[in-house]
Amino acid sequence: MIRFIIPLIAVILFFLEPVFSLFSPISIADVSYTLVPRFVIVYLIFITAYYGRKRAILYGIILGLLYDMYHIDIIGVYTFLYPVICYFAALIIRQIHRHIITVMLLSLAMVALLELMSFFFASLIALTAIGFEEFIVLRLMPTMVANSIFVGMFGYLFKRLIDELGMQKAGI
Amino acid sequence: MPRFFSNKRLILLLVGIIVLVALISFSLKDRQNATLPEQIVKDVVGFGQSLFSKPAHYITGTLDKIDGILNTYEENKHLKARLKEYASTQAELADVKADNKKLREIVDKKDSLREYEPIQATVISRNPDQWEEKIVIDKGAAAGVELNRAVITANGLIGKVVLVTAFTSTVELLSTENSNFRVAAVIPGEEAIFGLIEGYDPARGELIMKRIDSNFDVKEGQKVESSGLGGIFPKGLLIGEVTEVSTDDFGLTKLAYIRPAADFSMLDHVMVVQRSTGVTSGTDGIVPDEDEEGEDES
Repeated sequence: MIRFIIPLIAVILFFLEPVFSLFSPISIADVSYTLVPRFVIVYLIFITAYYGRKRAILYGIILGLLYDMYHIDIIGVYTFLYPVICYFAALIIRQIHRHIITVMLLSLAMVALLELMSFFFASLIALTAIGFEEFIVLRLMPTMVANSIFVGMFGYLFKRLIDELGMQKAGI
Repeated sequence: MPRFFSNKRLILLLVGIIVLVALISFSLKDRQNATLPEQIVKDVVGFGQSLFSKPAHYITGTLDKIDGILNTYEENKHLKARLKEYASTQAELADVKADNKKLREIVDKKDSLREYEPIQATVISRNPDQWEEKIVIDKGAAAGVELNRAVITANGLIGKVVLVTAFTSTVELLSTENSNFRVAAVIPGEEAIFGLIEGYDPARGELIMKRIDSNFDVKEGQKVESSGLGGIFPKGLLIGEVTEVSTDDFGLTKLAYIRPAADFSMLDHVMVVQRSTGVTSGTDGIVPDEDEEGEDES
């Protein structure tokens, strides 16, 4: 039963992302800011840090594929980005101390990286025409703010949960 | 310094990239029809998604209601002031409608571009990486939704259906940057002014209506509706209000910025409308070779 809790949370976050994106874009003083919820990748990075790289990459491929098929209708974008981001995170995490604060910062950095990569991809296939500066101001900054709130609220919970379940698995 | 990739991983990565590029180009080619596995995934994920989004809509709906109760007094005052005006408009409307019906009978014209049959639907998700403005609704082919149907809210037109599976459909919103998304529009008045809604200005949050004959005098504050002449959308769906008029790049025609009547964020209940008069199949994107044409070229 316990084995299923970690993937179950990933699936719940996957379903919560589009619900939260219904609130976006938010317009403040006639400028509309786009908030992109990136809950799944944050969670995957916590799995990378506290559970195992292989597991994170596997979940990344599966959830990325579902994301592509359901939301984007272009198969292969997030199927590629999610595992690659997890792989990078694993490379970095090997060099640093696994303190909760560093993992939180790392996950935010990876959210920014994911946003950048998805921006380059969207510009490449001409889904968007916005310039880099506009992207930074109208999209990246508000996204980072929203996701920091999410990481701040749930980061510790994820660490406790994954740590504990990881222990149990090791104990058995 | 540690090596970044081992040889085996490097090869794995390269093979992965090749496969993914192939997949991307394959799925970019034909985005109007989903393959069978895609349809199954969409329906299954869509079902799971609706389990999450319906409670969310319920919560936001309750909050809206509380907000409404708090504002009741102000609103009541405002509405009372408009009640008188409303009664006379109502009487006039009934008169005009009856007149219209009589005149239609005289000229023996039964069909109207205005009439449509609505299908009620709930929004279950919005594309989270918002590069494309797309939402998914919980009605699909099984409920009679078809490709290219107009989608409206109580406030006005919001978009059209771009992909249909058995139990879900994907709707592209008017606020898209996709330049192939055109809507034949009209500014009603003594002289109807025709143009095309073509493009969206994300910084201003406004739609752009192009190809307006420069002889016409467009004023700020005028309402814009769908004209029904594109062959797909019914006539008379409110799109928005003119906020600024200028000339286009070549100075031959006018263009107008239009503040949309419908709010594109926080969508919950929408209607898919099929117009009762026959829908033309000319350039509406069902023919695979012409699917890049958009539906409303005139």
